[in-house]
Amino acid sequence: MTHSTEPWRLFICRACGLIYDEAEGDPDSGLAPGTRFEDIPVDWECPLCGVTKTDFEPFERPQISAAPQTVAFSKKPGIVVIGAGLAGWSVIEALRKDDADIPITLLSACKGDRYHKPELSVAMSRGVSAEQLVRESAEDAGRRLRVKLITNAFAVGLNTARHELRTTRGTIEYTHLVLAQGSKPYLPKQLAADTCWHVNHLKSWGGLEKTLRAGPQRVAIIGAGMIGCELAEDLNKAGHHVSLINRDAHPLLALLPPLAASCLVDSMVQQGIEHHANAHIAGLEKAASGESYIVLEDGSKLAYDQLIAATGLQTDNRLAKQAGLAFDNGIAVNARSLQTSEKNIYALGDCISIDGVACRFIEPIAHQARSIASSILCGDQQSYEHVDPVIRLKTRAMPIVLRGIPKPVGIWKTVTQNEQQLVMEQYVEGEKMAVLTMGLSSGSEAA
Amino acid sequence: MNNTALSNEDESFWDDDARILCDVEKVASVRLSAVANSIDQDGYYPADIMGELGQAGAFLPHLKAYGERFDAAINNMSAISRHCGSTGFITWCQDVCGLYMELSGNPALVNRMTDHATGITFGGTALSNPMKAFTNIEAMALKASKVEGGYVVSGTLPWVSHIADGQCCGAIAAIDNTDGSRSHEVMFMLDINEEVKLTKCPEFSGMEGTSTWALNLNEYFVSDAQIIADPARPFIKKIRGAFILLQTGWAMGVTQASIDACREVEVSLGHVNQFLHNRPDELEAELKDLHARIMQLAKNPYDTSKEHMLDVLDTRAQCSELSLKASQSALLHQGARGYLMKSKPQRLIREAHFVGIVTPAIKHLRWEMAKLMSEG
Repeated sequence: MTHSTEPWRLFICRACGLIYDEAEGDPDSGLAPGTRFEDIPVDWECPLCGVTKTDFEPFERPQISAAPQTVAFSKKPGIVVIGAGLAGWSVIEALRKDDADIPITLLSACKGDRYHKPELSVAMSRGVSAEQLVRESAEDAGRRLRVKLITNAFAVGLNTARHELRTTRGTIEYTHLVLAQGSKPYLPKQLAADTCWHVNHLKSWGGLEKTLRAGPQRVAIIGAGMIGCELAEDLNKAGHHVSLINRDAHPLLALLPPLAASCLVDSMVQQGIEHHANAHIAGLEKAASGESYIVLEDGSKLAYDQLIAATGLQTDNRLAKQAGLAFDNGIAVNARSLQTSEKNIYALGDCISIDGVACRFIEPIAHQARSIASSILCGDQQSYEHVDPVIRLKTRAMPIVLRGIPKPVGIWKTVTQNEQQLVMEQYVEGEKMAVLTMGLSSGSEAA
Repeated sequence: MNNTALSNEDESFWDDDARILCDVEKVASVRLSAVANSIDQDGYYPADIMGELGQAGAFLPHLKAYGERFDAAINNMSAISRHCGSTGFITWCQDVCGLYMELSGNPALVNRMTDHATGITFGGTALSNPMKAFTNIEAMALKASKVEGGYVVSGTLPWVSHIADGQCCGAIAAIDNTDGSRSHEVMFMLDINEEVKLTKCPEFSGMEGTSTWALNLNEYFVSDAQIIADPARPFIKKIRGAFILLQTGWAMGVTQASIDACREVEVSLGHVNQFLHNRPDELEAELKDLHARIMQLAKNPYDTSKEHMLDVLDTRAQCSELSLKASQSALLHQGARGYLMKSKPQRLIREAHFVGIVTPAIKHLRWEMAKLMSEG
């Protein structure tokens, strides 16, 4: 008999959930410890509900995803932060810097580990894994900053009158609430969520990285915005064959004038990236051979192994809607205080909008975090000053730095154009709106 | 729709929600209040009173044939539960069983609906296990195999309520392929006859009069006349929200009864009870908010969007939390008299515990919300 050397197994009663552990047996019913399931007599009954062994099945212990305890249990409501991305952790850092004692709870949909999100669009070619991108685990950061962690949990309801946040791990009270929930990928209707990758968070990026580790593959990236362009170069550099599917005539249509955009396309093509301009996706197709295709509206097909959506972001409005918070292309906040339409609720990062405009850049986040901390702790409601961030495109072969946000009606003028550099300026009615620098010499600036 | 049995009556007889609610309240306050403890503790199954409630129209407003007024069905259930949580719970069983009959579209079952809706016949629901199985909480307990003219089903369900000989319940069994993989599931009306073995459950802490049994099937034959849905999953997807939402009527009734219990002692104990937290006014304000949210959701009971499901799951979870909080407060408000074994707060606490643990339990609701939220 080989089974004497096999590890003890568990069996669960399908009827009532009682677990029979071979190691323990069921001494009350005459089954000695170490009685194998096969050796249980057929007339044995479940000690809890009375069914027989045919209603038992093998059982494996399920994974438990709750976070370890980082601070002592406290009933005192404090500041609750939703979202463990850069914005959430930044606000916690800022709060702790000024107040060592105020209770802080962090609610996160993921594990909550700290990483630098902009790295996700350039990390594949560095050959690092998702684990290596973690700078500090949620548990370590939670201990260091004395934050109670509620991870792998979602906010599902918000009652502003009672200061209660309903979550999938219970209801928590708050004195102040900070929304740093980020944004989620916007997918056009032709792309179902389970057909494509995105790199909006570490977990999804990690899944893609593991899949691509198998060797060079044909990768199709949908969307030629900042993330699409950066990712195209990164994956190409990592040895994959990259097709960039762009619905527009040029990449970064809203930001770059045609001259600059064509320089960028030239640079991509030189590297071996295929740029498909004016390419509208009609749908996806899987051939009998198992090969996957993108079908374009003009009828052409493009085979791929991996599909990545870089088609933009949107803010989930569920919580705001439920709590009656003003929402306008994002959670609407006051431009000076970052307070939402509700007292004691603040928001920052990718989920907010100021005057109806979302601002999804890293640079303002630290400033926003400090302003919210001073507002909550010192009552200073005027400390934030919103300025358009400097936009840096991390395309290493052709780095781009853009100061100011170009307007659709603006007129571009070329200031410098030579083999090393292109500098352009945009004007609206004589006023300079934006300065664009691209090329090798701006490389030192485009970190 | 089968409306034949009603065709001799005044068509508008069942249209008046206020009149139905008033009649239901009358039966509940007169008949149920007197026996609530006996139902809860001694196992008195109130089939007679259920019949009267059925005649008053308690179990029909949510059915399409009667106007699909889920708000009225929920309010009826709440009025019943205010006097007896066990009867409120079997009202929910009766209500969803009626839904299965009607939405099956199977003429043999649709023809049984009118008697069921008016409380002439009774039936429950054995969906606790499959509901959990469909969200990966546990494995399917009943297995079916295809035979000429139907299926044969075997397996055991540990506790199914509101069933008895001659009654029925909706059930789901899994059909496996020969290689052991899952083919699909079939949903059927399980008619309780001599082929079905009902075994007495161990004694519960309360809710003993809900006629709850362990149910064992051994090659039980399911005929085509009993099929509710084959395959079952699309049907379950459609009714899941309505199934869960209806339970809120029961939970709100238990909460309202707890608030009543706090108020009952206000004259004699108000001078000290003012120092308690979770006072009746505060509980009532939360219940009022919750009721308004539920009435809103009840307008679109078959909405299967993620947003709607999240709202239904969250309101159901809040119902559990509030009934637990309110019943606990009822005991604290009544003090020593609430600690008497036969006191109302004792029963309310047992009822609220059941609200919190029955499928979908608080933990299942949160599990499912987390699952829905993580699906992007």
